Amino acid sequence: MKYADQSQNVGMRLRMVQALVLLLLALLAVRLYVLQVINGPHYAEIAENQRVRLLPIPAPRGAIFDRNGRQLVDSRPIYSVILSREDTKNKNLNDLIKPLSDALMIDDDILRERFDQIKSQAAFESITIKEGATLDDIAWVDAHQLEYPELRIEQLPQRRYPENGFLAHALGYVGEISPEQLEQQQYKGKGLKPGDVIGQDGLEKAYDDYLRGKDGYRRVIVDSGGHIQREVDRVEPQAGQDLITTIDIDLQAAAEDQLAKSPQGRGVIIAMDPNNGEIFALASYPTFDPNLFSQRLASKEGRAEYAKLLADPKKPLINRAIQGRFPPGSTWKPLMATAGLQQGAITIDHSNLVCGGGITVGNKFTRCMGGNHGSPDVHFAIMKSCDGYFYRLGLKMKLEGIQQMVEEFDLNKRTGIDLPHEVISTTPSRELKAKLYPSDAEWKDIDTVYSSFGQGQDVLTPIALLRAHSAISMDGKMYVPHLMKEFKAIGGVGEPGTRDYREPRPAKTFEHPEPKILGIPKDQNELVIKGMWSVVNGAGTGAGIRMADFEIAGKTGTAQVVSLGKDVGANKDHSWFVSYAPAFKPEISCVALIENAGLGSRFGAPSVRAVYDVYYEKTRGHSTPPTQIAMRFR
Amino acid sequence: MVAILEHRSLRDFDWLLALLATVIVCFGAWEIHNAQPTETYWQKQLIGLGIAIVAMLAIAFTDYRRLVELAPALYIFGLVLLVIVLIPGIGMKVHGQRCWIKLPGLGQFQPSEFVKIPVVLMLAKYFGKHRQGNLTWKEVLIGAGILGLPLALIMLEPDTGQCLTYLPLLAIVLFLSSIRMWLVVSVLLFAIIAAPASYVIGVKTGLLHGYKLERVNVILDPENADKRGFGYHTWQSMITVGEGGLTGTRASSEYSQSRLKFLPEPHTDFIFAVVAETTGFLGGVLLLASYALLLLRLVTDARRSRDRTGMLVIMAIVGGLIFQIFINVGMALGFLPVIGVPLPLMSAGLSSVLATFIAIGFAISVQLRRFVN
Repeated sequence: MKYADQSQNVGMRLRMVQALVLLLLALLAVRLYVLQVINGPHYAEIAENQRVRLLPIPAPRGAIFDRNGRQLVDSRPIYSVILSREDTKNKNLNDLIKPLSDALMIDDDILRERFDQIKSQAAFESITIKEGATLDDIAWVDAHQLEYPELRIEQLPQRRYPENGFLAHALGYVGEISPEQLEQQQYKGKGLKPGDVIGQDGLEKAYDDYLRGKDGYRRVIVDSGGHIQREVDRVEPQAGQDLITTIDIDLQAAAEDQLAKSPQGRGVIIAMDPNNGEIFALASYPTFDPNLFSQRLASKEGRAEYAKLLADPKKPLINRAIQGRFPPGSTWKPLMATAGLQQGAITIDHSNLVCGGGITVGNKFTRCMGGNHGSPDVHFAIMKSCDGYFYRLGLKMKLEGIQQMVEEFDLNKRTGIDLPHEVISTTPSRELKAKLYPSDAEWKDIDTVYSSFGQGQDVLTPIALLRAHSAISMDGKMYVPHLMKEFKAIGGVGEPGTRDYREPRPAKTFEHPEPKILGIPKDQNELVIKGMWSVVNGAGTGAGIRMADFEIAGKTGTAQVVSLGKDVGANKDHSWFVSYAPAFKPEISCVALIENAGLGSRFGAPSVRAVYDVYYEKTRGHSTPPTQIAMRFR
Repeated sequence: MVAILEHRSLRDFDWLLALLATVIVCFGAWEIHNAQPTETYWQKQLIGLGIAIVAMLAIAFTDYRRLVELAPALYIFGLVLLVIVLIPGIGMKVHGQRCWIKLPGLGQFQPSEFVKIPVVLMLAKYFGKHRQGNLTWKEVLIGAGILGLPLALIMLEPDTGQCLTYLPLLAIVLFLSSIRMWLVVSVLLFAIIAAPASYVIGVKTGLLHGYKLERVNVILDPENADKRGFGYHTWQSMITVGEGGLTGTRASSEYSQSRLKFLPEPHTDFIFAVVAETTGFLGGVLLLASYALLLLRLVTDARRSRDRTGMLVIMAIVGGLIFQIFINVGMALGFLPVIGVPLPLMSAGLSSVLATFIAIGFAISVQLRRFVN
């Protein structure tokens, strides 16, 4: 340092700079050591987590079959065009509307609506642009990957239900789990996550745990834009278990056909095996298309369709068989007769009561709709549906006797059918009267009279009524109605012993709860059955549907829904027929309720007959022999 | 002159310096390839290296004293370039900054990288005069003026990061020109106290808010900062570095942070993160050691310089380099804010490599002429 000047200390200052250089580099090295050697594993894990993603492979749900193995519901793979959000951060989505709607043939408005939805979603979520993409759509997306890298095709199983809402109320439907459901106890701990599809109603809901499979997944490496680079690992999904129901497609079709043709297009027909509670047919009209929920609810049209269903005054979403409550009218009478005999209000030998063409309670005369039957016995009273007889029987039994009957036939309970949302029938009580008519709270004899012929506070679900009558047909054995017959076994998936092994699921048949034994003496029971037999096979109100080789026992009912005089048009009486056959060795019981149609004999009974015709042909191998009697009885 | 040079130049030429710089650029090109294998950055970098070597040799074999004589002319030429780059149509706007001049057929260059050289020469010329004692205030102000003119122009681009890299040039020249030590110490103390104090006061008074506060918080606590927004670069760089571990990531290079595009700007600003990921702590330290060796060699050359001017030229270069290295690597390691400063000799970019090699050419030129002839 030839220029060095002691006064300036240049040498020392150079050494200071040199030291600073080394100090700074050392500082960097220390920081590098901390990040890489001390915290290295931590960051390696984070890096791994952000490049490895688990993509679920949705498991197909189990299919649903009728009792003879005919398919009702299945899941088939469909392709959807998905828009991945991460690639559209810097894009104006509105610019995509025109080209996408042209190429994929989607309505502009739907796209605009879905893009609006995106804005309120979490940033990493993708959105379905089009469900049920065609081969052309898939080819187009493939060919335009460079132009629209945000689009991809995904395969998803989609639930497919029968057309025209066939069996819709029993089958129910699937839908995405809602945020509220995710919080509910019944869904917790089942590994469900947002977007998962679960059963939302009907059998789909009741047996969701069996029908729902276990999703598989793909472990893939993705880049920062979420594009899949490679699949590392794949765990196959395990399909759900197939459900064999107790439904018979042919009987169901016959029942739905009857309801579709009914005057108001509203009503219920249920057929079941009284020997064990297996439901053959469960039809509720009007019906709805469950495919709406599994396929179309995401679209604008789908939501409009749903709103229309909800607003429909005919309430097509209601399963009338278990959620509808109707005054039973005269179908109440055989239950009254059974209870009257049991309670000793009448006896087998002395069952005659006065009809008198009606009864005067207080200063009010309530007439018998069938005219004056004199002083009939119980057999005749059932056969001719004598109101006057049952007014007096009711008064003899008193409210307490009627309530005892309600208790015996489980009419104040759910039947326990394996469908969700069953409601409880309304049955007479002092409390209910006081609640409904606060100004006239006292229970009076006239209330007992109304309660004794299926009006007033008698408001039953069709399933509860059918179950009670089936118990009469079975000498007092009352079974729990059910639709599930069997779940098929499904094999394990994957290597046993590994973490991802999916255990095989064993077959399962319906576990019958013990039937309720009503303890009706055989001779008493027989008397009621004979009465019901005469309704069809004697000179009764249901003689119009007599079958030559298949003895139907039944009871018509005509339930008043508005006060007399207003009962026209859509306010006509409900038309009931409840029955079982063959009368003394029943194989099938069936109830029909045709809403606001008129006489039970005119609408309810022929509808039931149509179901029996199909049943007869199926079980006897030939069609019903002709009968001489006119089909429609006035 | 060529004849004179031939003997001495081969013997006295600083082979170590030239070789070390070349090796680092080659290593850098390999890492650029790792970061962006499908792009041509690494090839461009090697072509740039060829041009840079030629430029370095040309400078090395030219007497630096002549170039220092030309400093005012070069300085004015540099200022003209910085004005030209601001003219729309000539200056290219990238990410909102107008700092590139397009050369038809040749590509583009960044005047602010090159203007450092005339600034260094200008400072060396002014402060290289034989003198005694401490600096006067007037001298300090003139030095600040030499630096201030180009800085003002660069701020118009605006390119704050590049501006920062100019500051150490003046600082080191003033320091070695014997600015009073108490002044140095008080500036340092002030910085140490003022930085945290201003943060606290800023937060308390609400003056520091919004994205400015976010930027600071990212550095203070990257784990809990907005990892998808302001903190994204810092966080991803830290993950990339950390993942490298001791000896480099074991994951297939096909799925590295840069290949999967998690690490932004992997071939330029965050090239050090790529080094750390692919070669681990060992590779990272080796690179830092190479820089240490290069810088120490430059300091040695400065010490050996036969005049103050040569010493100041080299030390200003040392100041510029260590500052850039520290800022860039500190950013990659997540303890300094994200500022677009390239890592010398490593980051892809012709301007940066060329400017650094020209600077090294000056250093070689100085040490070639260390003996008075």
